[in-house]
Amino acid sequence: MTLLYQFIYWNYRVTSGLWHWSRRRFTRAGLCAVVALLATGAVGADVENTVSFQSFALLLAMLLLAVGFSFRFRGKFSAHRLLPRIGTAGLPLPYRVRIKNLSPNVQAGLTLLENLADPRPSFADWLGFQLAEGKRVRPFRFSQTRSRNPFRRANLSEAEIPPLLPNGEVEALMQIFPLRRGILHFAGVTVARPDAFNLFRSFIKVSAPQNVLILPRRYALPPLALPGAARFQQGGVALATNVGSSEEFVALRDYRHGDPLRHIHWRSWAKTGKPIVKEYEDEFFVRHALVLDTFDQEPNSEVLEEAVSVAASFACTILTQESLLDLLFVGNQSYCFTAGRGLAHADQMLEILASVKNCADKKFETLEHLVLNHASSVSGCICVLQCWDDARKSLVEKLKLLGVPLLVLIVVARGEGISGAGGMFTDSEGILRILEVGKIEEGLAKL
Amino acid sequence: MKTPPLLLFAALLFWGWLSDLLLVGAVMGALLEITRLTTFRWELDDTDFNRIWSFCVVLNLVLIGYVFTNNDAGGINGMFHGKTLATAANSGVLTAIRFLRWLPMTTFPFIFAQAFNERPSVPLTAVSLVLRWRRRHGDRAFAGRYLDISHSYFFVCLFSAGVHTNNGGQIYFWGLFVLLAWALWFVRSPRFGIIPWLLALSAMLAIGFGEMAGLNRAQGIIQNFNAQLISYFISQRTDPLQSMTSMGRIGLLKLSAKIVIRLEPRQPGDAPAYLREASYRNYATQKMTWFAGGGTKDFEPLTVEQDDTTWNLLPGKKAASRVNIACYLNGWSRELAAPEGVLPLPGGCARLENVPPYMILKANQNGAVLAAGRGLLMFDAAFGRGASLDSPPDVDTTNHYDLSVPTNEIPALQQVISEMQIPADANELERRRRIEQFFANHFTYSIWQGTDKLATPSTTPLTKFLLTSRSGHCEYFASATVLLLRQLHIPARYAVGYSVHEPRGSGFVVRERDAHAWCLAWNRTTKTWEDFDTTPGSWIKVEGARTAGEEWLADLKSWITFQFAKFRWRQANLQQYIFWSLIPVLVVLLYFILFRRRGKLRRDVKNKNLPGAPWPGLDSEFYQLEKKLAARGAPRQPGEPMADWLERALAEPLLNDLRSPVRELLRLHNAHRFDPSGLSAEKRQQLKLEVTACLEKISTADTAKKLR
Repeated sequence: MTLLYQFIYWNYRVTSGLWHWSRRRFTRAGLCAVVALLATGAVGADVENTVSFQSFALLLAMLLLAVGFSFRFRGKFSAHRLLPRIGTAGLPLPYRVRIKNLSPNVQAGLTLLENLADPRPSFADWLGFQLAEGKRVRPFRFSQTRSRNPFRRANLSEAEIPPLLPNGEVEALMQIFPLRRGILHFAGVTVARPDAFNLFRSFIKVSAPQNVLILPRRYALPPLALPGAARFQQGGVALATNVGSSEEFVALRDYRHGDPLRHIHWRSWAKTGKPIVKEYEDEFFVRHALVLDTFDQEPNSEVLEEAVSVAASFACTILTQESLLDLLFVGNQSYCFTAGRGLAHADQMLEILASVKNCADKKFETLEHLVLNHASSVSGCICVLQCWDDARKSLVEKLKLLGVPLLVLIVVARGEGISGAGGMFTDSEGILRILEVGKIEEGLAKL
Repeated sequence: MKTPPLLLFAALLFWGWLSDLLLVGAVMGALLEITRLTTFRWELDDTDFNRIWSFCVVLNLVLIGYVFTNNDAGGINGMFHGKTLATAANSGVLTAIRFLRWLPMTTFPFIFAQAFNERPSVPLTAVSLVLRWRRRHGDRAFAGRYLDISHSYFFVCLFSAGVHTNNGGQIYFWGLFVLLAWALWFVRSPRFGIIPWLLALSAMLAIGFGEMAGLNRAQGIIQNFNAQLISYFISQRTDPLQSMTSMGRIGLLKLSAKIVIRLEPRQPGDAPAYLREASYRNYATQKMTWFAGGGTKDFEPLTVEQDDTTWNLLPGKKAASRVNIACYLNGWSRELAAPEGVLPLPGGCARLENVPPYMILKANQNGAVLAAGRGLLMFDAAFGRGASLDSPPDVDTTNHYDLSVPTNEIPALQQVISEMQIPADANELERRRRIEQFFANHFTYSIWQGTDKLATPSTTPLTKFLLTSRSGHCEYFASATVLLLRQLHIPARYAVGYSVHEPRGSGFVVRERDAHAWCLAWNRTTKTWEDFDTTPGSWIKVEGARTAGEEWLADLKSWITFQFAKFRWRQANLQQYIFWSLIPVLVVLLYFILFRRRGKLRRDVKNKNLPGAPWPGLDSEFYQLEKKLAARGAPRQPGEPMADWLERALAEPLLNDLRSPVRELLRLHNAHRFDPSGLSAEKRQQLKLEVTACLEKISTADTAKKLR
């Protein structure tokens, strides 16, 4: 079976490589000509009933000539991208590329193409995806949509390069459309020159390695009344800096073990001979936990990607509401990031979410342990889960027992609906919501 | 449209010219180009394009069905193309050809809709039923992606223009070159000037022309090779001009149990013993081959009766017996571009009836009837004793074909004749009887051919058969008998065909292994050719025993092949029924495609005008409660959520008890209004009763308030 999978994998590699090559090498007219060539070739075999072999001959000659032209493109270029630091999945990312002509000839009629690092997965990743997809989508079921381009990182566009004088430099406006979060690696750019018929292009590749961080896709959330209320927060003003009723002096009292040294009122200590500390008004503000379930065997899972997007949507919304947000998830280890009220900003939280990877080697109990440890300090908890099995039910039950107000969002695969969540719901309190991949925005709008 | 002005017009004109639809092409081209002159546009949405594409698909299917099932080349087919044998006969290839040729016409509504649409492009999802279906179910793949199909349509026109019979001309090549150059001019790269572009175009023309010539030659070679290859592997067909025997070869003769002919006698007992395909006159002993003694020109076309289905082979002859024959024509006529083969006919066949129309039949002097037109032929053969198509023996001419004996076979024949001890005064009938007896007594049937039958420089296989081995298959017996008869001055011919002996149902089946050779002996008294078979009767048993195990499988396969061939070659009425049964389906489909939306709109408009159109939940009793509470001086503010308003309206201490039940009532009311599955009868009743109870409580509270 492995041999068969390997065969299919190499077949995938070759065909996807060939398709990528032909999409870049042939212009749209060229692709049309190739399709016409194949059609006339198929029909032209019958030379008695059709004369399509004549068009086959002519089209073949045209394409051969076009390909032959590609061997005579000489030029030298340098390229430098003016690339923003971050982009967002699902939103176009425009940037500029400076191209310099290092050859002594004028170069006109050129096109600039972007070269991304090869996105094709390793055999293990590919197999993991195929097996997961095989479980989800049964063969010959048109109703079940297969994931489209699961490994493609971004859609690229081309740009016309203005005529380049010898040693001249011009700027080309490029745009990419990132499809997935994470770091997008640019390998270089390609300067393409079409043939006389504008069917086939010859390439000169220029190395220009660069990276851009793509933040997760985010959805608009309706005005949220998040569960839980403001409560006392240990650390008080230190976490609030200049926001709210900070530094409101209340009284002096005796020192207790654990009081910060900077609260000691030195003059009173001098007068009384025992440590006296200044007491400030307690800080009360909302602190939410955003729990992200990353336990997925498949690294390129659509469900995980959407779960991250949902978490990112909450991270952005909550952080604009003057509250703290703890992001809790498990990757290589257990992580807890706190943002809001001067600690960190939304973009930093999004950068963390952009780098979240699936956790295949740990159990869900690791996350449960992390969440329960933080339960005492949070006002409410938003859980973004990937299914609804016993382990997850147990976490939710425990949080309920601890009296933590909850909002549980379960992201399920495309077309699976409630049945895809994997368990029966007993949602008498209305805290559970199902978000189906492909209809996430609709699901969130109903919150 | 993104295509340059007049390019599509020219392409359609070119297509129309080569497809004999010049006017249609010109009109279609003009309709497309007119969009550049007028500002009139439709506002078609994705659904409209879906419908138009569906219409094009239905149109294509109808045309495919029509062309495939059309028996007489009438209708649209006849309107556009002349009746020829090729157009009437070869349905499989012609269906595909016509479908491809009419592609610009059958997809025209789609490009026309694009041309006259406000946005000159079509949605990508329109062309795929699966994508459309998914889109209806919320999948947004390819949503909002549109494509200008004018260039694709241009290629379709050029492609379809090439789908016509190759008559060796190069008009298509040159026309295509001009149109391609026209199109390429508008997409050429600005990097290159006109001269390099023209040079490249010239090079393209030169290479293309060379390739075309090369392809022509290569195709000829491949096709010849292909024909040889096919004739080697696929079932053998009878050549009316020559019959190469298997005499002198080594090994087991292999013939399959495949059913090749089916017979159905009109009257029981009418079945002939033999079905003859051809007969031959000259025996070339070196090649072990029998020749007919004439060329292809020896075949004279037969004439068909007025009804186009009856072929009178022997006018004036009265035939007593009739048999229905179904046989395959396995050959291919390059001249007619149609299947061709020799008909297996009973001896003394006078007339062929119910032959499908548009067949071409020819016959030679040896009684072989060559038919062309269909791969499967079903007809009635009327036959009887007496005259046949065969020419009389040429004993009086200089050739003496029917009495000639190869000189190197004469010693063996003389030896055998002396062994037979035929009296010198024996008449022809006696001579034939002696020969028959001689073979029956001294010879055995065998399909194994050992080295003892190999020809040597001094002895021929036939000599070995007659003198030493005395065992062989039917070709040995038939060849030897013919030569013996001739040696005894009886004109004779070598005949090939099939033996009919296996009954099946009310008829007979003839298998490939029933292929047989025998001889025709001239009866001087009756002046007719008579079948004369000296092969021992055991041959049928020997042949049958060898393939008995695989017979059922071969029968099943043959039956499936026969049924398919009947359908394919329009020998079954099923095709017509299929076509006519399609019509109501198409009418319903077209109705849904074209009028369903309008009907829907009409329905919507109608519904809008109706007072009190059913709006789910409008009958909810909760509205009475709302009205009552609002009348108490706490009207609901615009935009105020119902739950909040109820809290406010029931804030009075007297109504505090109602808060909880009203909340529950609100939940039921909302479910009644918005839940697609609605409320159960029990819940509905609960809503009604509890609202009434709440109203009563509010009235009581109001009364109490007044009393205070």
